[in-house]
Amino acid sequence: MREKMMFEEVVSQIKYEENKLLSFHRSSTDTTSYRVYEDGKVGIHYQVGKMSEEEGFDLAEENLKVRPRPYPFTLESGKRSRNKIEREVADRELLDLAKECMAYICENYPRFVFGASFSQRKVIARQNNDAGMEYENIDCAVSVDINFKHVDSKDITDGYFSFSLRDFDKEIFTKMADNYLANYEKEVELPEEIIIDTQYYGFLGILNSNLDGESIALKTSLLSDKIGEKVFSEDFTLVHDVSDEETWFNRFWDGDGCVTENDKRVFIDKGVVLTGYADKKNADKYKIAHTGNAYTSMADIPGAGGLNFRIARSEKTVKELLNGRYCVIPVMYSGGGFADNGDYTMPIQCAMLSDGEKILGKLPPFTMVSSMWDMFGKDFIGVGSDNPIFNDKQILFRVRKGNIL
Amino acid sequence: MYQFPKDLYADVRIEENYNLWLGVKNGDLDSDGSTKEAGAFIRVFDGTMWYTGTTNKLDEIQKELDNLATLATPNPDILNHPMVKLLEVHKDTVLKFDGDDDVRKITREKWKKLLDGYIAACVDDSIPEINYWQAGVNCSHTKKSFYSSKGAEIHQDMQNCWLTFFVGITVDGVTNYGGKAYSKIYFDELKGWEEEVIKERDRYRDFAKNAVQAEPGEYTVVLSPCTTAMFTHESFGHKSEADFMLNDKTLQEEWVMGKKVGSELVSICDTGKLFNHGYVPYDDEGTKAGEVWLMKEGVLTGRLHDAKSAAALNEALTGNCRAQSYQHFPVVRMTNTYMAAGKDDPEQMIKDVKDGIYVYMVEYGTGQATFTMKPSLSYRIRDGKLCEPLRINVLTGSVFETLFEIDAVGTDFELFDTYTCGKNGQSVAVSAGGPSIRVKRLTVN
Repeated sequence: MREKMMFEEVVSQIKYEENKLLSFHRSSTDTTSYRVYEDGKVGIHYQVGKMSEEEGFDLAEENLKVRPRPYPFTLESGKRSRNKIEREVADRELLDLAKECMAYICENYPRFVFGASFSQRKVIARQNNDAGMEYENIDCAVSVDINFKHVDSKDITDGYFSFSLRDFDKEIFTKMADNYLANYEKEVELPEEIIIDTQYYGFLGILNSNLDGESIALKTSLLSDKIGEKVFSEDFTLVHDVSDEETWFNRFWDGDGCVTENDKRVFIDKGVVLTGYADKKNADKYKIAHTGNAYTSMADIPGAGGLNFRIARSEKTVKELLNGRYCVIPVMYSGGGFADNGDYTMPIQCAMLSDGEKILGKLPPFTMVSSMWDMFGKDFIGVGSDNPIFNDKQILFRVRKGNIL
Repeated sequence: MYQFPKDLYADVRIEENYNLWLGVKNGDLDSDGSTKEAGAFIRVFDGTMWYTGTTNKLDEIQKELDNLATLATPNPDILNHPMVKLLEVHKDTVLKFDGDDDVRKITREKWKKLLDGYIAACVDDSIPEINYWQAGVNCSHTKKSFYSSKGAEIHQDMQNCWLTFFVGITVDGVTNYGGKAYSKIYFDELKGWEEEVIKERDRYRDFAKNAVQAEPGEYTVVLSPCTTAMFTHESFGHKSEADFMLNDKTLQEEWVMGKKVGSELVSICDTGKLFNHGYVPYDDEGTKAGEVWLMKEGVLTGRLHDAKSAAALNEALTGNCRAQSYQHFPVVRMTNTYMAAGKDDPEQMIKDVKDGIYVYMVEYGTGQATFTMKPSLSYRIRDGKLCEPLRINVLTGSVFETLFEIDAVGTDFELFDTYTCGKNGQSVAVSAGGPSIRVKRLTVN
């Protein structure tokens, strides 16, 4: 049996440095994994750049002899194509768009120095095999990343904002820039109750590692003895979601070629831990549920992973969840993280105060302290139904204040 | 070699990369593969901006160069542009790995034998708390060729060999992870570390069983050489990268040459000449490696440059323009950065502390004005003696204050090759080094 995985990626990028146009970059990369299966083993050849199909499979067949990798599983089949492209911008249009956006922030906020990246990324992913699989996923988005530094600051950078859109809208850029920069120079005090409001991707890694079915089986997970138990907030539901309604560049199939029902799977339901995740290999090895969660390795066999976690949204908006309270936006935070026992400590170098929609002023640096159990448990407030501030989903949870830096 | 476009500056950087890896997890061969890849990064400059492209089709580099040139505006005076004028022109070949030491010639079987030897020596199934282990080896070889429209032609190569051994130790339902990693240039240098790996395994085992949470507050802290290495890189190294201050008057005034920025015990150097993890004989715009003393006896004496920042600040090139790979634009980066050895006895530095903390190992750090380090192994110091292991979530300090707080610098200098530095979304191999140092005041969170 033969199988081929392909990625075609085209990136155009405009970069600014200290308010000035620095560079235009364009790259086009094709990568292919040729795989030949026989008697529960697979030979793999990974190719960057073009190569004839015959040559690619010949090299995979050679590797089947010299470096066979175990893969005693049935190949998946199915036909599906998903094209999420809403708009593709030409390079000239991307350059004009970047110039317009930079002109806006440089003219309106002269007390800041900006670095920026405006890029368009288009990815075509395909996988097909002799078992009848023909899968294709196509996506394209424009991403903007702005770093800003106040002219009086002695630091290298003071903050950043970024977003991605399938259909770029300059108005979203100007609104976000106004929100971050207009009140930056106004100093405000940290409220007594500290509610963090932020995009949540950086906080879900701890759940990713502790929901690994292998860790649960080996008893190295903090959730090993918690399956079926309610350990988090009633309002906290965690879903693996590659439907791409709210995120981009996810394929709908995993590294083993598996597709989950409606492209989703719930792992934590209203605070109750339902199951760990597993690819085919770990499901077989540890006799645990196979959840269709394998990462793709173009040069090796797949392994457990490939998660795209999303926290289920509340029916309330961010402002309704805050119910009149202020929240804290961590703009620059680094250097801390989760400890092995789930404790969380993170210095926030730059934080802003917000009412859930508008940024009201700059807060002094502080350290936020919490734990995996608290931020998704008793201190979890919710994920709003709307996307203010970040133009993206955002989590609200209470934290304690650690040492002043 | 290439027909460079008229009235423009252009360069081409070609890379050929080879990688091999083997990983064993709890007894199963978990990963096993190798790749070969080639590509080129092409830059065209017209005096105003760069036009750049990446391609994996090496036979189409000329076409890509011509395409980029059509986007640029010809500039007959391009050679007098301050940045272009500074760019060096070398014709040199520095290929160090053509012989039997070339990792591309080490067979998978030899790697597997090395890995199996470590597993046989270091995995002990009788230790009940260790319910997870992973061991791995990997290597990389990169050959780079650089051509510029000014006439440069440089060929150079570099390779790395890695060994890693990590365990998960579960005590009272919490699993602590720890272990040891080695990064060397030659395969044979990875042999013979079994005793040290076992010692580190057992140190983490003791930590998992006996560590107590540190009380937040300010402490006198003694840093091990490995921790000083990261402290040097994070607290000062990043501030020495000149690309953040090209037109910034506030930062230029803050980091003016000759200013006292730290204790007179502290001297810090960066050099790509050392044959270590950050070895860069020529940087990615063709500049020969230099040796830059960033700080001498507490006084600011140098900074790191690419041609753009050197021209903007009217300083000399240093050979610090580096890219992660052929897919990236080169920017100012560190190479081998270290704090020089001092005169203090490392043991006495601990003995002189009545109540403090000894940081033996750190996981990672960050380098803003407030720098951070996440310790993985620390110990309490009481009355000059190392006591119980401590759990510390994060150590922080201000770069403007902490360098003045160093009151002892040890004689036990070491250079560490296991560091990777991240900046602007790019990771590059660096070495970092230093001796034991004592800091009068750091914040424990």
